[in-house]
Amino acid sequence: MDTLHLLDTFNLLPFAELEVGHHLYWHLGNLKVHGQVFITSWFVIAVLILASLAATRSIQRIPTGMQNLMEYALEFIRDLARTQIGEKEYRAWVPFVGTLLLFIFLSNWSGALIPWRIIKLPEGELAAPTSDINTTVAFALLTSLAYFYAGFKKKGLGYFGNYVQPEPIMLPFKIIEDFTKPLSLSFRLFGNILADELVVAVLVLLVPLFVPLPVMVLGLFTSAIQALIFATLASAYIGEAMEDHGHEGEGHEEHS
Amino acid sequence: MKMFLLLAIEATVDASEAAETAGEGGFGLNFNILETNLINLAIVIGLLIYFGRGFLGKMLVERRTTIAAAIQDAEKRRKDAVSALAMQQQKLAQAQAEAERIKATAEKNAEVARDAVLSQAAQDIQRLRDAAAQDTTSDQERAIADLRRQVTALALQRVESQLASRLNDSVQQQLVDRSIALIGD
Repeated sequence: MDTLHLLDTFNLLPFAELEVGHHLYWHLGNLKVHGQVFITSWFVIAVLILASLAATRSIQRIPTGMQNLMEYALEFIRDLARTQIGEKEYRAWVPFVGTLLLFIFLSNWSGALIPWRIIKLPEGELAAPTSDINTTVAFALLTSLAYFYAGFKKKGLGYFGNYVQPEPIMLPFKIIEDFTKPLSLSFRLFGNILADELVVAVLVLLVPLFVPLPVMVLGLFTSAIQALIFATLASAYIGEAMEDHGHEGEGHEEHS
Repeated sequence: MKMFLLLAIEATVDASEAAETAGEGGFGLNFNILETNLINLAIVIGLLIYFGRGFLGKMLVERRTTIAAAIQDAEKRRKDAVSALAMQQQKLAQAQAEAERIKATAEKNAEVARDAVLSQAAQDIQRLRDAAAQDTTSDQERAIADLRRQVTALALQRVESQLASRLNDSVQQQLVDRSIALIGD
């Protein structure tokens, strides 16, 4: 009896508040774009640009403050790219990998840390740009383009030789892999971030105080890890595309 | 549980109210503390700053000191290298001066030696010439002496042969007498 009453109460609650799929649509010509993603993306971009400007405004020999922090980030990205792509080729890919890592990281953390809900939109709500599938698909397709470009640039048409390495029997799997790579990249990031935000939102709706805290902290952790995974996998794919034949079999599948 | 539900309902009601006040088609602000999750976010951000500051700060300070030490080390090495370079350059200059000096001495010595050799050679030539000249004169003299001896011998031979034919007792007597007369005078 009591449980029934409880269920009734739940039904009264407008769960639509958490509904996924409500977006602030902007019309650009024939396109309908998700405005809330743009707003938060602009915010993240602005933060990144400001951080870069602050870091490079007065460059000193012995780095302090912001310069030190950004140099540390750059070193981290460089090491990541170097370990995944290899000493010889990694340099050109540092900007790409770094952009992915920093943008995704800041997007995830902005979604987890900034009280976006203070700002009320006509429709939908502000959240991490990476919790929108369009953003992550864009990143994943860019990564696909990047590794195809890297492969063709390095080997020309010989890139197709990768598909029969190490055994010709691998050909169908390798072809499927070209489709699964962007799919897994985009869905992993999107799923993780959206799930994280939804869990926090549901918990906040049910128990507004203190109970969501562990999940939020965990969310911060997974958000950072997701950014790292995306950047690492992207550089691993690029490195794999440029890999010389002969020494195959370096582990590059580290899905989570 | 009831309490939570009540809170939740209140929150949603507030939210819907806020949505209404914000208007259907416009942007607005929502200051509902529970619904916007402000308290939790503040706690999380506080935790993040509290722990992150310590961790990141330590890391950055470490990085900074490492870089500073590396730069200092490099500068020290540069200074050392510069001073070493200066020292070596000084040594080079010294060596060059030494070489110059040695060269000058050598040239002087060579000049002296050349003069000595030349004068020696001239002396030798002179001596050889003198010796040659002496040789020729002595040869001449010996030849003349030989000739003299030969002539004398021939003359004596002739005298002896003539003496035997021409000498007899009367002539001898005459000779002896003449000699005695000479003595007598």
